[in-house]
Amino acid sequence: MSSGVMINPAPGRMPWLNPKLVVAGVVILIAVGFLVFQGMQSTTMAYFVTVGELEQSSASVDGRVVRVGGDVQPGSIVQGSVGQPLQFNVTDGVHSIPVSYSGSIPDIFADNTQVVIEGTYHSNGTFQADTLTTKCPSKFEAAPGGGATQSATS
Amino acid sequence: MAQLGSGALIIALALAIYGILAGVIGARRNVPELVDSAVRAVWGVTALILVAAASLITAFATHDFRLVYVAGRSSVDMPLHYVLAAFYGGQEGSLLYWSMIAGLLSSLALLLHRQRDRALVPYMAATVLSVETFLLVILTVVASPFTLYPAALTPTNGVGLNPLLRDPGMMAHPPFLLAGFASFTVPFGFAMAALITGRLGSDWIRAIRRWALVSWGILGVGLLLGAWWAYHVLGWGGYWGWDPVENVALLPWLTATAFIHSVIVQERRGMLKVWNMSLVVASFILSVFGTFTVRSGLISSVHSFAVSPLGPWFLGYLSLVIIVAVGLVVYRIPGLQSDRAIESVVSRESGFLVNNLLFTALAFVTFWGTVFPLVSELFRDTKLTVGPPFYDQVNGPILLALLVLMGIGPLLAWRKSSPRLLLKNLFWPVMAGLIVIPPLLYFLRAPIPVIALAVTVFGLGTVVLEYVRGARVRRRNTGESYPRAVVMLVRKNGRRYGGYIVHIAMALLAFGIIGSHFFQVERQFTLNPGETATIRGYTLTYQGLENRMTVEGQVIGAKLAVAKNGVHRGDLESYRFFYRNYENQPTARMGIKSVGLDDVYVVLDQWDTTGNSQVVSLRIFINPLVNWIWLGGVVYVIGMLTLLWPAPSPARQRTASPVREAVLREA
Repeated sequence: MSSGVMINPAPGRMPWLNPKLVVAGVVILIAVGFLVFQGMQSTTMAYFVTVGELEQSSASVDGRVVRVGGDVQPGSIVQGSVGQPLQFNVTDGVHSIPVSYSGSIPDIFADNTQVVIEGTYHSNGTFQADTLTTKCPSKFEAAPGGGATQSATS
Repeated sequence: MAQLGSGALIIALALAIYGILAGVIGARRNVPELVDSAVRAVWGVTALILVAAASLITAFATHDFRLVYVAGRSSVDMPLHYVLAAFYGGQEGSLLYWSMIAGLLSSLALLLHRQRDRALVPYMAATVLSVETFLLVILTVVASPFTLYPAALTPTNGVGLNPLLRDPGMMAHPPFLLAGFASFTVPFGFAMAALITGRLGSDWIRAIRRWALVSWGILGVGLLLGAWWAYHVLGWGGYWGWDPVENVALLPWLTATAFIHSVIVQERRGMLKVWNMSLVVASFILSVFGTFTVRSGLISSVHSFAVSPLGPWFLGYLSLVIIVAVGLVVYRIPGLQSDRAIESVVSRESGFLVNNLLFTALAFVTFWGTVFPLVSELFRDTKLTVGPPFYDQVNGPILLALLVLMGIGPLLAWRKSSPRLLLKNLFWPVMAGLIVIPPLLYFLRAPIPVIALAVTVFGLGTVVLEYVRGARVRRRNTGESYPRAVVMLVRKNGRRYGGYIVHIAMALLAFGIIGSHFFQVERQFTLNPGETATIRGYTLTYQGLENRMTVEGQVIGAKLAVAKNGVHRGDLESYRFFYRNYENQPTARMGIKSVGLDDVYVVLDQWDTTGNSQVVSLRIFINPLVNWIWLGGVVYVIGMLTLLWPAPSPARQRTASPVREAVLREA
């Protein structure tokens, strides 16, 4: 079936499996596995919750990095003067939490915009957001891989 | 127009189904007329899709707002080039564009290979047509771009294209990326044809390599343009954010890169056949996955649409492709045995093998990070996400290992390298890497980026060494001058030396990524006119706010003068656009001024125009070496074109061979 000239037909079913190479390959795979494991352990993984879930489990996520998805409550945006942090509420329709954010504001940010905020949550106060990401409204249809990372990091 | 377009798509669907049957029956019963008919069906389907695309474009150009798709994405006052770009600015149009590119490239491939690879042709045509059938079903039944408003509801003007997409980068980025995805249809078609017919020898690999290169090149350009667009429009100071949608576009590029390396091993040594076949199939599957992820909202991304009816369709198709392709590969494993064994660990073969392991590891890590929210939700009931730090920490070392390999691989001989000779060859590249460490360490005072830079210099050193050696041999044999010898080297052996051009591009990209990743600084300033901001040796003087109206909307711009160490280096202006219909979405246009190796990058965050106050809040970044990334992109394109350039005719190749032999001997 194969059209290559059989110069030295190798023995066995998997002839290219040179033992030393297998060892080298396994070492690489273990190294990569270790990197992934380390990466999962040491980089902050954020809990992705809704506003309601956050209120319910506020004790267990107190002081942790949390990602919250919700809508910007209409009329809650307080821009402050130039250079002051932005204040607004994020709501899931029932519950809402106050958010303070001083990074740069994404282009699509207005009342009712779907947003994802990431930051440290303290159950007794304002959510201090480190990043504010707007989810694109349904009209926005970036082509695949549009790269529209409409996020901003403070 | 709408009737013409949707009619063309329906006829194309019927023709595609006919073509699949004609191809399969023609091949099985050995009826050449039917096979030819299947090939012509591919051309016919492509022509019909072109008619549909042309009618959609005409609808855009004539502002035919009876079409829901046209009214939703364009308006009368938009410049013509953006009106036309809106063609692929939405879901339905982009899928039409996808099927058009897949059709065009497949037609071209069939035209070129119709005679030489006769046995593969019927199944190649059938596979391509099956892909088209899927897309045409979607385009006619689920998401037609030709849906009309009821006559009474037809708007008089359209909404206009989303401001984020009104940018030159956006004109070029989506078509390249989508074309990259779509183009994997051709290698996939060849692979399936080879698997079905059992012709797994060298013919399919010859046919497929070139087409895989085309896909790999187009997708790479799409990714680079996306990075460029993000950098210039999105205003977070970066070009790559490990967003799920970016990741899924990177995945097929990684597997394709692995393939164009390992295919060399199969051509030269008849090894890694199952592996190569799997990479081709995986690249296509990942392309469909990429197209689908954006469309379905499967993974929470800023790009995802509310809820799309396309999800189940794509998921079903994806499963079908995986089952059929994996089944065929497993069925053909006996025919895909290697002709030879790898003789030594220190050999070109094992170098390529390690390269492939690393590229697949990159793809796997990226995939894992992207789908992790889904996995964690399945097993732990909570949705956990990983962010850019995870990718930096895991993919960073793998990329560094690839750079090391880029320095070693080209110096390895086929079959078996003598370790002594290898060490001797490595001397100059290693020296180049070592020699830059002390000065870099002195100036940068950070060990990790210095190591990364040194490794990149090492990788680049090997490429330079290869050119120097080749040129020296040519000069000795032909008496050519060095510059001419280098040019002739690339022209005579485009595959090898064109590949090295891509290696140079990768080194430039690495320099740019290392520089901007480790040495970016960012600060926020609140300034009144006349005030200055100082950041890493740069002094920016804010000169005032400009407020003007254009045809498309209102523009607010902050003007700044940039000085370094007291010397004026130029001016920049950072804007916000308020497009008509999108007034609540002020779109930023960064002010970027390149000074030496740095980009001074200014984002206009907030401003106050009440009364005489012109106070602004600016976010200023100093981004070192970002320009090298764009330069690397240009070199990537040059390398890709060199690789695709038709090989010299056999006669000319023969005259070149003594030189090549000499080069090989010296290596």
